[in-house]
Amino acid sequence: MNPVPHPVPGEVVRFVDLSVHLTGFPVFDLHATGMAEMYLDTARQQVGRSRFDEFLKALRKACAPRLGPAKLEPTDREIARAVTYLWYTGAWPRLAVAAHADLRREMANREFVVTPSAYTEGLVWSTFHGHPAGAKPPGYGTWSIEPAAPPSLAEIERECGLERKDATDHPTEEHRQDERADEAAFAAHRLPGPRVARDVPPSAVPTARAQEPEGNPA
Amino acid sequence: MTAAATGPETRRDHYDAVIVGAGWSGSLIAGRLGGQGWRVLLLEAGEGGTESWSGHLDSVSTYRSAVAKVPNSAYRHNTAAPSPDVLDLSPKKGGGYTADGYFVQDGPLPYRTDYLRALGGSGMHWLGAVPRMHADDFATGTTYGYGRDWPLTAKDLEPYYEEAERELGVAGDAAEQRKLGVVSDPDYVYPMHAIPRSHIDEHCRRIDGAEITDPMEDTRTLHVTGIPQARNSTPNPAYDRKKGYRPKGAVGLPNYGERCVGNASCVPICPAQAKSSPLRVQADLPENVTLLTRRVVTRVLRGQDTRVRGVEYRAYNDPASSVSEARSVRADIVVLAGHAIENARLLLFSELAKTSDQVGRNLMDHPTTLAWALAERSVGPYRGPGHTSGWEDFRFHGKRGERAPFRIEISNWGWSWATGAPMSNVTSALGLGGDAGGTVKPDGLLGPDLRRKLGDDIGRQLQLQIAVEQSANPKNRVTIDPSRHRDALGNPRPILTYDLDPHTRDGVYAAYRVSEKIFAALEATPYTDHKPVHGVPQLGHFRHRETDLTYQGAGHGAGTHIMGEHANDSVVDSYQRTHDHPNLYAVGCGSMPSIGTSNPTLTMSALALRSAEQIHRDLAALNQPVVVRSAAGEKEKA
Ligand SMILES: Cc1cc2nc3c(=O)[nH]c(=O)nc-3n(C[C@H](O)[C@H](O)[C@H](O)COP(=O)(O)OP(=O)(O)OC[C@H]3O[C@@H](n4cnc5c(N)ncnc54)[C@H](O)[C@@H]3O)c2cc1C
Ligand code: SF4
Repeated sequence: MNPVPHPVPGEVVRFVDLSVHLTGFPVFDLHATGMAEMYLDTARQQVGRSRFDEFLKALRKACAPRLGPAKLEPTDREIARAVTYLWYTGAWPRLAVAAHADLRREMANREFVVTPSAYTEGLVWSTFHGHPAGAKPPGYGTWSIEPAAPPSLAEIERECGLERKDATDHPTEEHRQDERADEAAFAAHRLPGPRVARDVPPSAVPTARAQEPEGNPA
Repeated sequence: MTAAATGPETRRDHYDAVIVGAGWSGSLIAGRLGGQGWRVLLLEAGEGGTESWSGHLDSVSTYRSAVAKVPNSAYRHNTAAPSPDVLDLSPKKGGGYTADGYFVQDGPLPYRTDYLRALGGSGMHWLGAVPRMHADDFATGTTYGYGRDWPLTAKDLEPYYEEAERELGVAGDAAEQRKLGVVSDPDYVYPMHAIPRSHIDEHCRRIDGAEITDPMEDTRTLHVTGIPQARNSTPNPAYDRKKGYRPKGAVGLPNYGERCVGNASCVPICPAQAKSSPLRVQADLPENVTLLTRRVVTRVLRGQDTRVRGVEYRAYNDPASSVSEARSVRADIVVLAGHAIENARLLLFSELAKTSDQVGRNLMDHPTTLAWALAERSVGPYRGPGHTSGWEDFRFHGKRGERAPFRIEISNWGWSWATGAPMSNVTSALGLGGDAGGTVKPDGLLGPDLRRKLGDDIGRQLQLQIAVEQSANPKNRVTIDPSRHRDALGNPRPILTYDLDPHTRDGVYAAYRVSEKIFAALEATPYTDHKPVHGVPQLGHFRHRETDLTYQGAGHGAGTHIMGEHANDSVVDSYQRTHDHPNLYAVGCGSMPSIGTSNPTLTMSALALRSAEQIHRDLAALNQPVVVRSAAGEKEKA
């Protein structure tokens, strides 16, 4: 039996396979956005074709056995984040100035939404079982219903085929819950902080500051 | 009925009434006068197009492709009739701000409110929350010693509130509003049943009955209360003595938009058009009303004695250029309905209604302070209309004289307003964008850890939007300086001078302290942060009682042609007719002497419907045959 020829170009398939490691969403979900080819083109345009190929090579190496930001050189790390941001929001972000300079990009270092449908295909909404604001409405009164809990880390890893072989490397769900308390002290920097003005694009919003015990005094 | 500049030009050069501006107030009055058979010309400065389904879809796409999904993000820039935009303002490093848009601003604090100059006006990007004002709100001067009294009472407005709720198509729970004290008719029901409450509202209801004391030692008991909304839900068969109500849906697509489906983007645009807009009223305008877009009124023309005789306007074809043609039209009655700030600008440039020296003064808004926190578990943000309930408990009575009262909206849209979430959550979790010095950050999350973290964090976002009453202060004002500041068409740009007085600042401060107590009662972790970021004070930042605070704009521009009994201290009378010119009306929130803590459009619409009755009487009197008039005169003499 001859295999049915794949309708998606090979380079896009490979880009999606690597994007699983970046996004934590399985191949199926990534293809289902219908955006893969456009994102690959966008990233190549923003970074430069050959530089992006280099990045993919570095990324492939960094994915085994498991991807972490420390496994990439700073500029590659920022590209990895930008591509992930693209998948999550449909927008190409503003990059760290150092990475922008290092890439000698000719375009302005500015956030832009790739297309209106890229926005509505952003993955960020499904991390919490939501829908994009202004699209895919779930229907009258659905906002009254208690939301389903987001998937656990183990479920996400299983879905992506990224289960950890090493058991000690794999915190259980209860362990994670405990961790939340410890995290609180330093988790603020993983949350967004206030925008100094409405024109600050989401990719340039500073991180939150840890709360002072007194609340908001001088 | 609607025609752009390229369409047929005005069929006549004289109308019974010419109305400037096709937002809610202009459209409602045009509808009423048109229904009574008067020949009405409605001149709209902005672009149309949204009244067709394809034009609407174009706006939806424009919104989706905007990086900053602010109120005007669904509508294109218009050179001929520019709109102010919240993106025009930036903070300065050492404090202060710059304003680079349509508004010139020179006040101590920025005026952070925008509006939209396009067909339908700000009624296109509004949220559609339509609470009534409370009896307590109409006489704060007499009762509490601050602000200005109305020449009307809540009772006087009640029948017009009911009419406005029909025209706007309101869904609400009348029993709950009676309990709150804003609806008094024991038999009244809203046209539609209340919009379902969000799960977030339910989460907050857990602390119903909790007592919260504000810094002025004013203690209130919390009750989560629903907000009436101009948004389609299920019609109430008991409405109007069991006649029921048929919702009006989308304009340009039949049998669509008759119920809210939870797009969660009401500001700036409801893709389903389940949110009410003035386009619905415009779609029903009769033949004797002519609505023309791309007509920017420049001045009101003075007539004999104290009367006005019409308006001068400029017609353009291309919204991207300043090429336009001057025209004029005469009318028995002129109605300015261009928004509070535009009405003031037009009166100032026309040098009319000058007696009181109040035109442009008393500019108000609802300075809105944001508070945000993470709940213990998922609450389901980013679903449904912007908000479905609030804590109304700090709105009336008590120590209102000491600190401005406030209305606490419970947001259904997570931290979006405060932080740009959920997109900015992705930024922070990834470690994207570099540190303050521009270096690539070392740490951050990717892959399954990232997805897990975002699901956990975003799903727990709570945000309160606390709208504080701002009272009339003549120093907050709109002026013009035609020799220095004009737009591309040559019209003077509004110059705003704005500040928050101590009473309002105390309200913002109390609101902030109350939000902290609410989050503590909810066992939520607060993240509210009003402090400067990397040395740059946030826009709208001020320090008060040794606390950093910030406020946002609410979109509720008001007060600029203030209503009162006397010609020496107010611009319009209770019918919104200028004291100085018997056939010139200025309608809209600009007439309101105070705005309480209610989103103003329902009250504004009630006033517009009341004005329409008076305009009808004025026109009827003007059009009476001369003999009758003199006969009446004879009788009076006798
Ligand atoms: C983001 C946002 C959210 C809001 N949400 C709510 C809410 O939930 N509840 C509420 O009650 N209110 C809300 N508002 C306020 C509400 O939108 C306004 O109170 C209301 O739309 C004002 O109606 P208007 O007809 O007086 O003016 P507008 O709606 O501003 O209409 C004025 C019209 O006049 C036209 N015009 C202006 N100048 C000229 C000229 N020179 N010649 C000809 N035409 C002219 C304009 O183009 C416009 O179409 C909100 C506002 C904003 C910005
Ligand atoms: S929640 Fe959605 S459907 Fe409902 S009014 Fe808002 S935008 Fe429209």
